[in-house]
Amino acid sequence: MNNSTSRRLALLAILAIAMVVVPAVTSLPAGIAGVKDSGCNCHGTEADSSVTASITGLPETYNASETYAVTVSFSGGPSTDGNMNLGGFNLWASDGTFSTVDDSTQLWGPSEASHTESGNDQRSWTVDWTAPESGANVNFILHVNSVNGNEGNGGSSGDMWNRADVTVLGFGDAPLPEVDPFKVLATLVVISGVMLSIVVLYIFYRKNPDSFDWENFSPWISEWLTSTDHKKIGTLYFVQGLFFLGVGGIMALMIRMQLAVPGNDFISQDYYNQFFTLHGTTMIFLAAMPLINGFANWMVPLQIGAPDLAFPRLNAMSFWLQPVAALLIFTGVFSGQGADTGWTGYAPYVVTETTHSGVSMWAAGQLMLVASSTLTGINFLTTMAVMRAPGMGWFQMPLFTWSILVANLMLFLSIPAFGVGLIQVYLDRTIGTAFYDVASGGDPLLWSHLFWYFGHPEVYVVIVPAFGVISEVIATSARRSIFGYKSMVYAMAGIGLVSFIVYGHHMFTSGMSPTLRFITMLTTMLVAVPTGIKIFNWLKTMHGGSLVYRTHTLWTLGFLVTFTLGGISGMFFPSMGMDVHLHETYFVVAHFHYVLVGGTVFGFFAAIYYWYPKMTGRMLDERLGVLHFLTAFISYNALFWPMHRLGVVGMIRRTHTYYITTDDFNALPEWAADWNMLISMSAFLFFASNLIMVYNMIKSLIRGDKAPADPWGGWSFEWMTASPPPTPSFDPHNLPELKDANEHVANEPGIFGQIFRRLMVSDDAAEEESH
Amino acid sequence: MSGDYHGDNHPSPWGPHDWGHGAPHNSYAPLVMSIGVGIFLLTFGGLFNFGEFDMWYLPLVMVGLAVTGIGLFVWWRQDMSFDASYEPIATGTPFKHIQVRKVGMWVFLMSEMMIFSSLFSTYMRYRQGIPRCDTVFERGMFDPVLNPDGWQEGVAVTCFEPASHLIASSWFHLAPGAINTFALIVSSFTIVQALRWAHKPVGSVDEEVRRKRIYRYLGATTLLATLFLTLKIVEWFVGFPLPEFLHEYNHGHSSIKSLYAEHYLITNDHYTHHSYIDEATGAHMVANIRVSATLFYVTTGTHGLHVLIGIIGLAYLTFKAWTGAYNPQSAVSIEYFGLYWHFVDLVWVLVFPFFYLY
Amino acid sequence: MSGVTPLFDAIWDDYMFWSILVGAFSFGWLYHHTYYYRAKEGESPNIDNLEVGVFPKEYDNFKLEVTWTVLPFILIVWLTYISWAPLDAVWSQTGPDGYHGSVCEDGQSSNNFIDASGYVRSECYHEIGIEGQQWFWEFDCYGLSEELCATDYATVEGELKPHLILKAGETYLAEMTSIDVTHAVKNTEFGMMEDVVPGQTAYLWMPAVEDTSFLMLCAEYCGDNHAYMVAQITVE
Repeated sequence: MNNSTSRRLALLAILAIAMVVVPAVTSLPAGIAGVKDSGCNCHGTEADSSVTASITGLPETYNASETYAVTVSFSGGPSTDGNMNLGGFNLWASDGTFSTVDDSTQLWGPSEASHTESGNDQRSWTVDWTAPESGANVNFILHVNSVNGNEGNGGSSGDMWNRADVTVLGFGDAPLPEVDPFKVLATLVVISGVMLSIVVLYIFYRKNPDSFDWENFSPWISEWLTSTDHKKIGTLYFVQGLFFLGVGGIMALMIRMQLAVPGNDFISQDYYNQFFTLHGTTMIFLAAMPLINGFANWMVPLQIGAPDLAFPRLNAMSFWLQPVAALLIFTGVFSGQGADTGWTGYAPYVVTETTHSGVSMWAAGQLMLVASSTLTGINFLTTMAVMRAPGMGWFQMPLFTWSILVANLMLFLSIPAFGVGLIQVYLDRTIGTAFYDVASGGDPLLWSHLFWYFGHPEVYVVIVPAFGVISEVIATSARRSIFGYKSMVYAMAGIGLVSFIVYGHHMFTSGMSPTLRFITMLTTMLVAVPTGIKIFNWLKTMHGGSLVYRTHTLWTLGFLVTFTLGGISGMFFPSMGMDVHLHETYFVVAHFHYVLVGGTVFGFFAAIYYWYPKMTGRMLDERLGVLHFLTAFISYNALFWPMHRLGVVGMIRRTHTYYITTDDFNALPEWAADWNMLISMSAFLFFASNLIMVYNMIKSLIRGDKAPADPWGGWSFEWMTASPPPTPSFDPHNLPELKDANEHVANEPGIFGQIFRRLMVSDDAAEEESH
Repeated sequence: MSGDYHGDNHPSPWGPHDWGHGAPHNSYAPLVMSIGVGIFLLTFGGLFNFGEFDMWYLPLVMVGLAVTGIGLFVWWRQDMSFDASYEPIATGTPFKHIQVRKVGMWVFLMSEMMIFSSLFSTYMRYRQGIPRCDTVFERGMFDPVLNPDGWQEGVAVTCFEPASHLIASSWFHLAPGAINTFALIVSSFTIVQALRWAHKPVGSVDEEVRRKRIYRYLGATTLLATLFLTLKIVEWFVGFPLPEFLHEYNHGHSSIKSLYAEHYLITNDHYTHHSYIDEATGAHMVANIRVSATLFYVTTGTHGLHVLIGIIGLAYLTFKAWTGAYNPQSAVSIEYFGLYWHFVDLVWVLVFPFFYLY
Repeated sequence: MSGVTPLFDAIWDDYMFWSILVGAFSFGWLYHHTYYYRAKEGESPNIDNLEVGVFPKEYDNFKLEVTWTVLPFILIVWLTYISWAPLDAVWSQTGPDGYHGSVCEDGQSSNNFIDASGYVRSECYHEIGIEGQQWFWEFDCYGLSEELCATDYATVEGELKPHLILKAGETYLAEMTSIDVTHAVKNTEFGMMEDVVPGQTAYLWMPAVEDTSFLMLCAEYCGDNHAYMVAQITVE
């Protein structure tokens, strides 16, 4: 069975299910629309065999561009002479064009014909069909509706319908294949995979060209597969994150190609929906989070002076769950049935059978990511709590480590709710539980609560580590200590706290109680206070400094610009008089791309340029870095800034197309089409500009300059080790000791610390300590 | 894919956490277990599709579980030689001198708590939001949104039918749950006993006696946990007969039917309970109880899964105890597993009243 | 500037004012420092004597930090305050306390108008019904006269879509339900949207003040043809 046959069979199966499941109650006396995909919206709920549909006038094999008069008719059913109406039809062809011959029929697009209001009183209609030039086989799907015309125009009780399928053979030997966007994507994924393997092989080759054979390769690769070293796992996370950043980027390009002009049909809505779903899921869970974890893995033990993480093997487990989860999430893509629910996967749509079968695996894959994040949380929280080097109190941890602590705490306390929600969805879709079955009393909003209880902290989880990076980079680059270290920490902790009580703003339009609306409005606005403190502290850090311009400095300043803009645009949403208009528009898209790309991604670009020498022992090429920054920063702003304007005029998210104002109705203004074209072109430029960085990384790895231990002049422990650091990162029997330029004793436990100690330290240990 | 891989540069001895001894310890276990879990989740989605069962996927599901098991075996094989002589100790305040694993365990329990909180939130939402079936039928209080038309013969009414309505209706029906509660509490005691014996200072007790006591107490804990799951299966799927002299106390019935036999099922949208009879027509009223059954099975099932994982862990601990591996130094392993086990016990103490009694 | 609804425009202008103020302040500061405090040629000072393995000298100023905690907080409270009032207007209750009175008697007109603050006020309102399903909207006039409310079909980019015709000067309260999955009604020119969750009834004010014709969109992703789940609303 070849691919297209199986796809067609799957389509027919879904169609059959849809015909049973989708209640068909809409009565359209002036024609039947959308039958082919959505099941019959004719009168009556199920196909009825007492109605017979027939098509005459079609040849067995057609000639190119010849026009045939096609007559469709039906018999049976409640349709009898003297009824007010007799019936209707819908005829769809996979190719060729229809044209009308009289006023009893009308066209809905070139390949779909139906009756008109005046044609509602017939049992037989005629349309002209002009054969295509391609020579491919053409399928016809005919739906007929036999009506009794009771209760005036709208009544539909007792009406019946049925369908017929006819295939007309083409003259060509083989049908011309259509380009399947999924094949394009799959090909790109495979090509990227092959390229990745080649890069891996090449790196192995470069390590020692003389020992390029299996005997040496096998232990080298199994070292990577089995390693529990935090640096190796960090690198693996890193490779995964960049890989999926590319995959998610390609999906974004597909989306932008579709939206470049209004009414485009570059990809069908079926594919479009899967692309934006997977784009969101990939970017958040498979790109941003692994990038963060990559740096966290690398830098946290180095920054706190620990030999490794607390649970090295658990750490390996956290990582290896991720690529397997990625495979599960993408299984739908390989079978052409990818998840099409949006990354939020709103109930009850996510548990209906009209979704693609890939949704189950999408939920399962995310479930594994939840497990991975939980293990990561255990590992990092424990590490930071117990493995700080002597002399390092809580308030002497570097700010990047602090940011990872806050992020992991938020994630750790919120992601179980998401996990439970996913289990519910997965069970609903597999063993048939009824968590979100509306007919059985299931509440769709429960999912929204579980999801956003996690979802909102999650967006801070991806931005807070970027704050940490910026704090490190800006202080080092300005050759100063960070301004207001403690207020920085308190601000991050404040963001962490507030993140749990703001999620309601995602549900402003879901029928929330007025009191809660007001509370959520206030708490959401409150997020701006700690964020503002951080921005002003960064700015003040530069005061009196001596800003050394490196690529990572540029990215940090770029971050300050874009993140401030994103933060300001975020203030528009809690104000509900505006939110009811801006909700689900491109204004939202612009806002979260400004904070997630302009914030998180820019922050991590800064981190790449900042820590790459430490991680690989090679300096990156500064000239390429500046080129990357300039092209990416400009194209990025051209890409996302116009979206604000589009959102205000009412362009909504997650739609396959958009409507431009015509004489009949107002929709988007005409310039919106030009702006969309600009956005799409900028998207390609932005994507391409990031390839410069990839090239830079590979090139520098091979022939970059050797990096010293502390190339930028930072103070934290990671700059104490060699570049790249040894394994274990610090000698466990000879841990480094942090000195303090300030005069205060910071290593005594505070009041909570003392309570903890009393709870958890056995008397023996305490006694031992006192001696 | 064996567990005894040694990296070329790292001729390190067996044992976990041995970065404390200078080299990272490589392991295939994480990779293998991840792949196993992936295969399981993937094929389970084929085994059941919207409640439809497809036998053909069963072997594949087994493959997934087997691969996970292999990963677990590799992990344990590496753990066997661990004698806690280099148990990592915290260096940072406020946990200085505490074993790192202990902190990790508490952090882990924090997330477990969030999981059960979320499940209980779901329970509270539905328990609050959907009127109880007996209220609806006996007092005619139909929910205006869920059942706007009230009851019509043969049409199911969506309402909340707690499992406790069935289970707590008779002492015999409640018996498995009650015994289970008792079994779990006792098992918490036996594991503490095992720990107590492991803790006895060297020299104060004969090592052979120590070994026997520990593995017997751990074995008893395993057996009690197994009893828990067995009774659960009896209660869900099997049911049990009653001796004759008890029939009169059981409304004259000779056996207790399982929940399955009582049609208390997640798929049942036409549930009839013997007490729901329309007085006017004498017809049985039918209820859509899918949500209530879902909550019952998934919440108690999640707890049951934790017990199952506990059994697997206990089996390993018992085996290791049998080899005589536990002494005051390595007793912490029993202690940390005990933390988890007490947590599972504690959750049951909450689940039992909410799902079996109330 | 935006031209959505007078109410939206009023808040928008306020927010734009403060945004530009905050933005100009931050960016002015940023650009000044990036230029003024740049490292000069050949110099590499280590101002705070950063040294590896030494926690750097603290650099803070309590008064400054409190200032930029308190000032934004005051601004936030102010912004919340000005955003508070529209809450009642957007989700106005029915009855004499609300903005739109009670249900109109037969033949009574809403006579709605926009007051000085941008709120729509009416004497009474008419009820209509909107039902969403994959992927159509269905309107129900609840027996209102043809003049007040009429439905038919309009062609939108070659496809037949439901069409609702309302009367200018009248205010409508849409009672919205969904028979399958969550949809959301987004009336761009009324500046409002509300989710339609299956199993629940949602309400949305539709104040038809001026003659217009626009597309009502589905703003909550609902499946395959989500993008094409549009209807036309004409106010005349």
